Amino acid sequence: MMQSSPLNARRVVIWIGRLVLGGIFIYAGFSKLLMPNTHLWPMFVLKFSISMNISSFAQQVESYKMISPEASQVVAHTLPFVEIVLGLLLLIGWRLRIWATAITAIMVSFLAVVTRAYLLHMDINCGCFGTPEKLTGMTVVRDGAFTALALLMTIFAFMEAREPHPWSTPEKA
Amino acid sequence: MDDYVTSGKVYLIHRDFPLPMHAYSRIAARYARAAAQLGKVEPVEQALFQNQEKWEQNGDVDGTVAAVLSPAEMNKVRTLVKGGTLEPLIDKDYTLGQTYNVNQTPTTVFHCKGQTYPYSGLMPYDVLKQFLDQLLSQK
Repeated sequence: MMQSSPLNARRVVIWIGRLVLGGIFIYAGFSKLLMPNTHLWPMFVLKFSISMNISSFAQQVESYKMISPEASQVVAHTLPFVEIVLGLLLLIGWRLRIWATAITAIMVSFLAVVTRAYLLHMDINCGCFGTPEKLTGMTVVRDGAFTALALLMTIFAFMEAREPHPWSTPEKA
Repeated sequence: MDDYVTSGKVYLIHRDFPLPMHAYSRIAARYARAAAQLGKVEPVEQALFQNQEKWEQNGDVDGTVAAVLSPAEMNKVRTLVKGGTLEPLIDKDYTLGQTYNVNQTPTTVFHCKGQTYPYSGLMPYDVLKQFLDQLLSQK
């Protein structure tokens, strides 16, 4: 007999978090590499498109005026790939607690950066995805919602890890 | 400019696309156009780009341009700006930009051997150079 239902509220939240945040991270990473410039062929044109998109993203990072232009370049050249890898790992579910914690940490830092820019009335693009998107109160609300989901997913993932697996055989007394 | 335009490898056309989200961009476009008619587009555009944050806040496009032109040149620019002849030219550029789905500046539209490649965003020179060389070497 099963000790608990495979679909309790915590597991539903974990699944929603994995699907939503995993999907968003993968999309965010790819869109930063392949948008707004989407010419994909021949190969040198694709290379130029990606270089241009990374360059635009670096400017958006720099526009927050928190780190140096050199550091912005490092962020722009690494963050899209990190987002894709983390999104995939979250969807796969391997070592979930580690990657959920990493995604939560990134979401908290995104929220902090976006909130700071909003409170300083900075007239900039948020740089969340590849296409230009003005940073508004809605950006802060959206990031806040995703951060809350990431936090819940991570906390529940740790709580669920302490429980026996729903399909495991109950230990005999 | 020296490597590609002056040498005749690339033909460069500058177009205006003042974005409605920027309150003073159309005024800046008028001043840049007027300066172009006096052959002073480069120093004026440089001044406008370098001081964009200031004039976007206080709207002082005139003062920004005046800082890099002589008083006589500035009087000519002001006459052209007030004359209203530049507006249809800017509108024409804007309409052309819309046909390429331009939605941010700068956007560069490359035409080469029947192919068109619109690219938005600032281009680092080494990346642009590599692209132009490969584009020009295409058979």
